[in-house]
Amino acid sequence: MSILRSITSGLRSLFRKKQDDFELNEELSGFLEMATGEKLHQGMTRKEALRAVRLEHGSVEIAKEEVHSSAWESIAETCWQDLRFAVRMLCKSPGFTAVAVLTLALGIGANTAIFSLVNGVLLRPLPYRDSDRLTIVWEKGRDGSPENVGYATYLDWKAQSKSFEQLAIYSSWQPVLQVGEPEQLSGLRVTSNYFRTLGVHPEIGRDFLPEEDAPNTNKVVMLSHSLWQRKFNSDPNIAGKLVTMNATQYIVAGVLPASYQSLMTQDPRGGSVEIWRVLGYDVSQPWACRTCHHLVAIGRLRGGIAITQATAEMDVVSAALSKAYPKEYDDTGVVLTPIREQLLGAASTPLYILLGAVSFVLLVACANLANLLLARATNRQREIAVRTTLGATRSRIIRQLLAENCLLSLLGAAAGLIPACWTPKVLAVVGTGDLPRLDQVHLDGRVLLFTIGVALLTGIATSLAPTYRLSRTAVHDSLKEGSRGSGSVASRRLRGMLVVCEVALSLTLLIGAGLLLRSLSRLLLVSPGFDPANVLSLQTSVLGQRFNDNEVVRQYFAEAVKRLSALPGVRSAAAASQIPLAGNIDKYGFHVEGKIHANPEEDPSAERYCVTPGFLETMHIPLLRGRDISAADTAAAAQVLLIGETTARRMWPGENPIGKRVKVGDVDKPWWTVVGIVGDVRHIGLDSLPDMQMYIPHQQWPFPDGQMTFVILTAGIPAAISPAAQQAIHSIDPTQPISRITPLENYVGLSVQGRRFALILIGAFAAIALVLSVVGIYGVTSYSVAQRTREIGVRVALGAQRGVLFRLLLRQGMFPVVCGVIAGVLASLGVTRFLASMLFEVQPTDPLTFGGVVLLLVAVSVAACFIPARHAMRVDPIVALRHE
Amino acid sequence: MTDKQGDLVQGTLDMLILKTLALEPMHGYGIAVRLEQMSRGVFRVNAGSLFVALQRLQRAGLIKGEWKATENSRRAKYYALTEPGRKRLSTEKQEWGRQVAAIARILEAS
Repeated sequence: MSILRSITSGLRSLFRKKQDDFELNEELSGFLEMATGEKLHQGMTRKEALRAVRLEHGSVEIAKEEVHSSAWESIAETCWQDLRFAVRMLCKSPGFTAVAVLTLALGIGANTAIFSLVNGVLLRPLPYRDSDRLTIVWEKGRDGSPENVGYATYLDWKAQSKSFEQLAIYSSWQPVLQVGEPEQLSGLRVTSNYFRTLGVHPEIGRDFLPEEDAPNTNKVVMLSHSLWQRKFNSDPNIAGKLVTMNATQYIVAGVLPASYQSLMTQDPRGGSVEIWRVLGYDVSQPWACRTCHHLVAIGRLRGGIAITQATAEMDVVSAALSKAYPKEYDDTGVVLTPIREQLLGAASTPLYILLGAVSFVLLVACANLANLLLARATNRQREIAVRTTLGATRSRIIRQLLAENCLLSLLGAAAGLIPACWTPKVLAVVGTGDLPRLDQVHLDGRVLLFTIGVALLTGIATSLAPTYRLSRTAVHDSLKEGSRGSGSVASRRLRGMLVVCEVALSLTLLIGAGLLLRSLSRLLLVSPGFDPANVLSLQTSVLGQRFNDNEVVRQYFAEAVKRLSALPGVRSAAAASQIPLAGNIDKYGFHVEGKIHANPEEDPSAERYCVTPGFLETMHIPLLRGRDISAADTAAAAQVLLIGETTARRMWPGENPIGKRVKVGDVDKPWWTVVGIVGDVRHIGLDSLPDMQMYIPHQQWPFPDGQMTFVILTAGIPAAISPAAQQAIHSIDPTQPISRITPLENYVGLSVQGRRFALILIGAFAAIALVLSVVGIYGVTSYSVAQRTREIGVRVALGAQRGVLFRLLLRQGMFPVVCGVIAGVLASLGVTRFLASMLFEVQPTDPLTFGGVVLLLVAVSVAACFIPARHAMRVDPIVALRHE
Repeated sequence: MTDKQGDLVQGTLDMLILKTLALEPMHGYGIAVRLEQMSRGVFRVNAGSLFVALQRLQRAGLIKGEWKATENSRRAKYYALTEPGRKRLSTEKQEWGRQVAAIARILEAS
């Protein structure tokens, strides 16, 4: 109540300042007059009375000031005064203001940009209701790693577990949409409760129904908002209409809201999921078995159930299952991964590292600005001394400085926001690897709040050094004409310390960038096991009823390869079910004759490439032993396969694998005979070691793959062959969709894009920090030279050797640099281990990087000291002595 | 003067002003003189402190000011207790009495 009244009356007096002032004036002068009258009454002379009153009560002005400053609104008023004064001061020295604002714009702008990235990718809420209750449920593999589940397992989990409100599964699906030009889409097959599990409701139409989730009634799809706009002209009556995909008619159930962006697949090569179809499995189907690990389970925990509780419960369920079906599980237990961790976990480490790195840039910018301010503070000593003598308190002067610096920082922040607006565009150009949710990156309220907060903190931080400095200024010294305040030694020490900080921070950043650079260059030297040069890849999947016949599929691909190979400018061509580095995972159990475990599930698995003859030649994968597969390996001939080096080494150590027999996938199927050993390829990425691999003739695989990638080795630029290649395929069947037409080198590039992204950013930060530090070093040295012009003149006049003097100046300039280098190396030793996960074949304490960076920094610093020192040598002693 | 006042328990000045005004409305100088007289010259309040306190009390709604003519036909702002001010004075008086008694008990116990 009284607070409210105080606020309202305070506000009123802010607006009625004149009126209030006038009244107070009248009251006070009345008071003093009455007091004087009293004294006169006591017999004093008028002069004596006035003097006595003055002594007792002070002047009207002082009393007025006291009353004014006791009220809270006076603080607001003086702040406004401070701000206006700050604007005037900054306008008076436009050069200083420009440099300061530019420095801050670099520091704050970079921070805003990276924070907007962190905010968009990591901090924004996921597009699911109560997303913290969603978790992926994996089967636990033998080494504790998470594994996909089979449909039968899912059904048992769903029936037996009580921790989940909903449990759904999904698997990837790439249908060809035949609306207009046939287009291959990225999609998912999901159980009918999938969207209910996520907590997403269709915007148009209805959700999937449980009865639709069965083998023969499963032709229902859900569209994403973007697909609905792109392919169906935002038709509001789309629900219930028929669309043709893969030559089959599907009914559209509904359209999801625009706010829902699927995050379930983040393959940068594939694009986001735009269509969902009901899974429609049944336990009787061969692919619904317990060992058919191709489904991902996602569950919504019941309210109040912790993830540990759910894990414990599911472990019990899983133990019972593996007891009931001992040959169908290789281990018991489950792994639960919270959805946030699953989707964003991989992105968070590099992003937080970037945020850390960019904060270093800001610190360097702060140190630089503090340095500038210190230099200015020395020049402003007299001004401040005058203000102190006129009655300004120290807190008032500090407040003034704070106002100036905060204003500077806010200006810097405003300037920094301009480049930060372009962050999304820059990211698109640079390429970010597989960072999810980049569409969420933009400037929002939280980013702006962050920026303003950072700016104010910066303002306060940069004020610390000059404030400390000023608070120690002796008023009398500063007022003396032409004084070279004794404070300049303390000031120089303070500025030296700032240089130490700058150098240490820059060095740390440079070392980080250096380590990443070495990693990337090492990685680029890694051979992927194949030669991507001059190879064009394009993906296709067979479309139409006639391809239900396996023989037709085999014939189709054999014919397509034949026509592609015959094109002018084509050296060789082949097709494969998957190609390395393209983001596919297709593994089959690998059961070696005589070495099959009692539980075949415990046998290892190998990456399966189902290929046409000529694949090795086109990809330049070396054949190490035995023979390549050929056109003679038809469905009628004996089943043969090729294996990778790792497979040979792991399965037949010290033996010759040629002629050995294996079963692939299922132990009930016929034997395959190893006929050749080929070099390993890096399938997952250049930075992960090759796993077991096998190559199976497309003609011999019992269910020939309908989705294949063509690889075409050309004599010239691979992209140039693209139109002819598409034409060749369409000359067999013009309705077949072709997608992902890209040179193989792009896949190699994509696999290192994430690292390149981190390197470019940290490299840029390091470069900014280095430039700022060099400016700082140069500034300190040249300022101290300028301050000591007279001293240098005297020394020269007294006969000092210029060379000695030069070395002295250089030594003094380099001293803080050397301290900074030592501090920076120590700091880096502690900090670089956080980078370890982003390094490749480089130790976080790599001596070469450390040495190189130190050398670079010292060389640049010497140059920065050299110039002002040289300048000092040209000082004419006569001029110097007349200085001032 | 100020030193003496520094010795005053925080907030005592406010209570004394309220007490002074409880008798009759008065202007600033009158309050100062009355305080000095009633305390037999122990408390002398300077103009600055007095008007700070008056502003504070006025904002808290404990007193209100009105411009009137003085006996010497000069204009001055007369302050008067409001109803909340009267209540405050009585609670503060009680509280003060309790504290003084307590302090006295402590000092006399030995």
